[in-house]
Order: sequence, then structure tokens, then C-alpha cells
Amino acid sequence: MELREFHNKVHPPADYDISPYGSQRSLRLRTVPAEGTSAVHFDWGSTPENAEEPDEPRNLRELPLHMGLKRAVWQVQKMRVPVVSRWGSWRIKQSKTFRHFCEIAKEVLSYLVPWKRGIQKIGGHFGGGVQSYFLFLRFLVILNLLSFLLIAAFVLVPSIVFRSIGFNSSIPLSVNLTSVNVCLQYDPKPDPLAVFYTYFLDLVSGTGFMEYSYLFYGYYHDTMVESKGFSYNIPLAYLLTAAFYFIFCLICMIIRMGNVASAVVATDGGVVGRYSMLVFTGWDHGLQGDLAAKLKKNNLRYQLQVDLEEERLQQKAASLTLGQAFALYALRIFLNLVVLALIGGTFYGIAEVTQFSQSEKTTGFNALLLQYLPSIVITTSNFVVPLLCDKIALLEKHSPSTTVILALLRAVFLRLVSLGVLLYTLWEQITCKGETSSQACTPCGYKYEQYKCWETRVGQEMYKLTLFDFLITIGTLILVEFPRRIIVDHCSCKLAQWVGRQEFLVPPNVLALVYSQTVVWTGALFSPLLPLINTIKFILFFYCKKITLFQNCQPALRTFRSTSSNFFFLLVLLFGWILASVVLIYSVAKIHPSYGCGPFRFSPSMWYVVPEAVDMLTSTSKDFLFYIGSQKFSIPLFIFSCVLLCYMGALTSVHGKSVALLKSQCKLEQRDKQFLVKQIEELNATMQKDEPQLPQRDTERFYQTEQEWNGYNNNAFIPDEDPRAY
Amino acid sequence: MNRSKHICLSLHCSLHGRYHELAPHLVPMDYTNDPDVKVPLALIVNMPELKENPFRNRIVESFSEDGQGNLSFNDFVDMFSVLSEMAPRELKAIYAFKIYDFNVDNYICKEDLEKTLNRLTKEELTPEEVVLVCEKAIEEADLDGDNKLSFADFENMISRAPDFLSTFHIRI
Repeated sequence: MELREFHNKVHPPADYDISPYGSQRSLRLRTVPAEGTSAVHFDWGSTPENAEEPDEPRNLRELPLHMGLKRAVWQVQKMRVPVVSRWGSWRIKQSKTFRHFCEIAKEVLSYLVPWKRGIQKIGGHFGGGVQSYFLFLRFLVILNLLSFLLIAAFVLVPSIVFRSIGFNSSIPLSVNLTSVNVCLQYDPKPDPLAVFYTYFLDLVSGTGFMEYSYLFYGYYHDTMVESKGFSYNIPLAYLLTAAFYFIFCLICMIIRMGNVASAVVATDGGVVGRYSMLVFTGWDHGLQGDLAAKLKKNNLRYQLQVDLEEERLQQKAASLTLGQAFALYALRIFLNLVVLALIGGTFYGIAEVTQFSQSEKTTGFNALLLQYLPSIVITTSNFVVPLLCDKIALLEKHSPSTTVILALLRAVFLRLVSLGVLLYTLWEQITCKGETSSQACTPCGYKYEQYKCWETRVGQEMYKLTLFDFLITIGTLILVEFPRRIIVDHCSCKLAQWVGRQEFLVPPNVLALVYSQTVVWTGALFSPLLPLINTIKFILFFYCKKITLFQNCQPALRTFRSTSSNFFFLLVLLFGWILASVVLIYSVAKIHPSYGCGPFRFSPSMWYVVPEAVDMLTSTSKDFLFYIGSQKFSIPLFIFSCVLLCYMGALTSVHGKSVALLKSQCKLEQRDKQFLVKQIEELNATMQKDEPQLPQRDTERFYQTEQEWNGYNNNAFIPDEDPRAY
Repeated sequence: MNRSKHICLSLHCSLHGRYHELAPHLVPMDYTNDPDVKVPLALIVNMPELKENPFRNRIVESFSEDGQGNLSFNDFVDMFSVLSEMAPRELKAIYAFKIYDFNVDNYICKEDLEKTLNRLTKEELTPEEVVLVCEKAIEEADLDGDNKLSFADFENMISRAPDFLSTFHIRI
């Protein structure tokens, strides 16, 4: 009570506390809008930045004292306001204004981030694992949207403008085209007398009216505008935008990986201390609702039982006889071979189907089916093979966590490599297996009979993959998940109860996202509007998955360790990026661009526009660029980065060693303390035996010292409470 | 009075509204005279954010000045500010330790752990499993070998927990 009287006597805050935002700040402080209040305006943000005691103001906020005590400490601090010079007080004011501005900026930015409330709700009901899927999805949506804005600004809009003004391509005089006349034939304009349903077929397969549109590479011209004071080189812009798009995605991914990795490293990967962490951090205090709480309790119980079971299995595995161990390993090797054979068979099937679909020519619905055959085979295998692998993994008798990791690795391998097989088969077809001198590939450098505009064809394949993936996901939602819920809820037969409601499994869903994104990256050079299509697709995914989550799914019985898995998913996304960039680099550098279409039609390779453009620069810029690219600059730079890397590695290991040292020191100190306490007790006991009349107070004094030691280490100890007996 | 570093403006006003809702006859709308009003434990644990929390009693008791769970408005704001997403990790660790220390002896001993575990799993683990899990938990976190967790042990263990910040968080 004295504290209240004490702070009621205090004067209003000093002048320099009232900043230009004074009225706004006091509104923030008042619990109820009231005028002319004489209560103290307590502004945490205005704690004086004492040069001599920089730690005190910050510590105040983090002290676990009650508000009354904190207020008293703050009053005492305020009394000790130092006399600062005019420069000092101006600096203080500026830093406060800047901090206030940062706070407001952070609040505004948090309004701009989409779906914040929705994702929080999902996290509250279904836990961190499912929430991490939706956070990943949101990251990809923003990435795709920003990429599309980049492409639109530098490639799409100039192309539209130049086409509407009427600039067309100009054939440079240096290129001799008589020998390649046959390659120039390319007429994708749709037949105006086509049957009406061909429009639908064209929409779905990217041919016909869709082929000759801004969607695909073939529509863009190699316009190079040079008028007074304004020049724009569309081929150069196209290539550099594609390159910059890839670098931008890489930077975003690395930043995100850095954030996640720092969390993983700080917590040692969360491997050690399973039980204690489960008990103390297992309960999500943000859960609301009776059902969610019950499910969470079940979940925790299940996890503890699984962990105990795993321990039992490990002990059993350690106690296997030699014969049993041998049999187990032989079984595992056999099953791994089976899995490899399965996956290898899938790849062979994809290659065959791709070759078949590229070479056949039919019309109508059969043509559509044929064109979609590679997508169908890939999607079916991506669904069936992981299922089989899961069943096989059960036979392998690993611990549950190892089983999950193995299944994930196999699924990732399957998805990315099947895409790679598709691309490899396409490459084989386009470049006659790399032999540009073979009969079908001269004189154009690519198989001109089949592929009049090979970039558009590759773009079309990627477009079909994207579209098919979208259709299948939505189809599964409507045709499988909703009926399953309806049947399980209304039918009380045993089969329905055994099957149960759908569980939202995070790993397959995340891998599907990674696969979609890899397809878009691969196709971005050949189909500039693909990131836009992907943005729309992912936005629709978000809402559809959210609906199905709340309507059809039950929370997973097995929780998902989100932090280390987040890093793993970003790593897999990085692998997809690497695959796409290999395709990009190879297409840009090695394969001859089509003569009949596109912005690079008269260059020997797509990369050629860059040296041409560099030639047109002033000599100073040229010299500068050449210097940066030369050995004189790049080798010292490389050596410097290696030195930096070694330094960081050494720093990391030193810090790790000092952490280990400090931990053991901690343990030793505690043991010393215990030893001393035991000694004191023994001493006490002997003293008491000798002189039993000694008052009890002596013992209390020793226990009080113990408490003080505890208090020094124990921040939970409130300083002014009565020391309790040990 | 508020801890505006952890709670933003709109949240603070809504907190006062929520506090008033708990006991409209007890809590005045006008706080200019800084009335000395405390809402009892029984009313606070009925909030929807706390109703299903197995540790609701301990949470409210840890933030009350008298240790019995009667919260003034400042304590109420304190509680939600520590449990918000912006409170620093050290502060959350301090209060988490207080919450799990059922017998308030500044140590988490085996009995505290057993009570925690029973509340977490609604007593569906067998007694042997409970004892096993408690033993393992103490074994993992105890640094000084006294078979109970002091705050230093607890904080060391929490610093390695990846999900602590996101689970020790009440959304209001």
C-alpha cells in the first residue's frame, strides 16, 4: 500500500518524455479515455538511455516483479536523471522517435501480411505441424506473386506496348538464313474453322489459341528499340529477368533457411531431452475448445507411449543375437532393393510414355489423353509408390522416427527424379540425344520436324503438369475427402469406423508443394506467365485445404516436429531449385534457339545476346565488367571467401567448445555446493551430538545461506519475500 | 498502466474490456482513480482462453500478488503480456518454472512432475509409465544430480526446446 501512496506523490514525467506523439502516447497509456487525469503516465518506451547504466532500463522490463515493485524501481531510476547536454538530449529524442516509428511500421506491416488470423486459428486447432504447412504455402504464394510482378514489369508490359505500337522484329544482316529456310516455318495461328470443343482442348493442353499468346515463349519478338534517349532490348530483358528471378528465389529461400537454421542450432535440433521437453513444452496453451484440448491430451499420451515403445525397441535391437541381426539386415537390404526396383520401374515407365506421347499424332479427345499421359503417369506414381514404400518400411522394423525419415527421403527422391526423367526424355527428343550433327537435327540444331518451336513445347509440358496437379488435388478433395467424411459420420458400420476420418498428413502435402514449385521454376523461362498461374493455384489451394482441414480432417495422432522439419522442407525446395537452374543453364547455353519463334530466333544461343549487349556499352563499363569477370579479380575474391568461411567455422567450433566447458563447469559447481552442504550437515550433526543444548537457530542460518545461493542462481526467487525454510 | 512493449494499443483496450466482463459488478469502467479491485480465481479460470487449460489454476496463482489467484488489472495485463508472442524467452521461462512448481518450493521435484504429467495426459498413463517418464525427464534435465530441477536446470532445458515460445503462448 505504501507504494501506491508513494507514486501518487510523484511529479508528472519530465519534459523530454513528451514527444511529438504525446497525445497519441497518452491515449495508449490510458486504460479508459479520460481527460485531465493526474495519474502517472507510465511509458516504458521513455526510460532514459543512461550512458553509464545501459542495462538497467532494459532489465526492468524483464524482471519478474509485480507491477507495484517495478513502478517503485522505475521511480527511483527517474529520480536519478542525469544532466545531459543539448546534443545528448537531442540524440535521446531522435532515438525514441525512431523506435516509435519502427513500432508503428511493424504494426502496419503485420496488417499487410495475408491470412494471419486464419493461420493462427489453424495452429490453435491442429498444432504447429499443420500450421507450418500453411506458413510454407503462404511463403510460396508471396514468392510467386513477387516473381510475376518482376516478369510483368520487365518483359510482359514492354512486349505488349511494343506490339501495340507496331515495332516488329528486324532480321540482322549478319545472319545468313538461306541454309536454314526450312527451320523458319512456324505457323501456330489457330484454325478459325475448328470445332468449338477444340477451344476447351486447347485451353487444357496449351495448344491452338493458347499457344500463340503471351503465355508461351513463341509469342515474344526480338524487338530492340532504340530511339532518342530510350532503348529497350527485349531479348536481353527476357534473359536477364529469368536469371534475376532465379537469383531472387534463391535469396528468399536462403534467408528463410537462415532463420529456421538459427532456431534449430540454438536448440540443438531438439534431439536431446525428449521426455522433459514433451512434459514441459508439450502442452499448447493457445488451444481453445473442449475437443481440441481432449485431442491434445490424447496426442501427448500417444507420443509418450511411442517414445517409451521406441526405447524398448532400441533395447531389444541392442540385445539381438548375431544370427537375428544378420537376418534383419539381410531383410532390410532386400527390401531396399525392392524399393529401388519399384522406383526404377517408374522412371522407365515415365521415359517410355513421354517418348510415345511426343511422337504420336492424333486429334480430338485421344490427342488430349495422349498429351496428358506423362502427367497422369507421374501423378499416379507419386501417389502409389510412396504408399507401397510405407508398407515396405513397416516390414523393415526400424524405430518410428527412422521410418518417417526414410519414407520422406524416398518420396522426395521419387518426385524430383521423375521430373528429371521427364525433362531428360524431352531433351533427348529435342536434340536427338545430343548429337546435333545427326540427320534429323541438321541444319537447325534441333529436331525441327517435330519441334518447330521447342521452347513452347517445353513450356506446354510444364503448363500441363501444373494444371493436372491442380485438377487432381481439387478432384481428390471433392471426390474423396468429402464423401469419406460423409460416410464416416453417417454410416455406423465397422469398416467406416476403422477407416476413420481423414488425417491431414503434412509431409506428402509439403512435398506436393515443392514439386509444383519446381515445375514452375523449370517452365518459367519458356512460359513467362506460369508464376501467375501458380500464384492463383496456390491461393486456391490455401482456401481449399483450409476448408477441407476444418470440415473433413481430424487432428493427427502423431504430431510432427515442426522446427527441424521446416529446415528439411526448405532444403528439398532448394534441390528443386537446383534441378530447375540446371535446366535453365543448359537451355540458355547449349541448345540452339528455335528459328521460327521467340526473342532469340536469330542468335546462335540464348546467351549470345549478353555479349552483344556488353559490346555496345561504353569502354569504361566494358573494362569494369571484364575486370570483374577476369581471373585477377575472381581468384582473390574466392580465396577471401574461403578465408571468411574458415574463420566462421573456427568461431563456431570455439563457441561450441566453450559452451560444453561452461556446462560441465555448471555441473561441477553444483556438485561442489552439494558436497559443502553435506559437510556442513555432518559438522552440524557432530556439533549437536557434542552439545545438544545449542539453539535451533544455527541450523536455520545454514539453510538461509543455502537459500541465498539459490537466490543468486534462481531468478524466480522474489527478493523481498521471507526466506522459506529449506 | 501497461507494459506497452509487449502489448499493442488495441489489445490493451480489449484487455480492459475482458477484465470488466469477468466481474462487471466488481470492476469499474473508469480506472483513473486506480481502484484496488481484485477478481477472484474462480471467475478468471472460466475465461474461454483458460477454461480447457490443465494448468489454469497454477497460471493464475503465479501471477497474483497474494499467491491465491486473485488478480488485479495490472496482474491480469501482466499475465497476458508474458503469455503473448512478444514476451522475451527468459521471462517466459521464469513464469513457466513458477507454474510447474506446484508446491512452491523453488524446485520442480518428482511430485510436481507427476502432477504435471497426470494433468497433461488426463491420467490415462499407467502408474509405471508415469514413474518411468518422470524419472527420464529428471534424468535428462537435472545437471547437479540432486534429483530435482532447480531454475537453472529448467532454463537450460527450455533453451534447447524449439517449440517453447510457440506453445507457451495464449492468443487473446
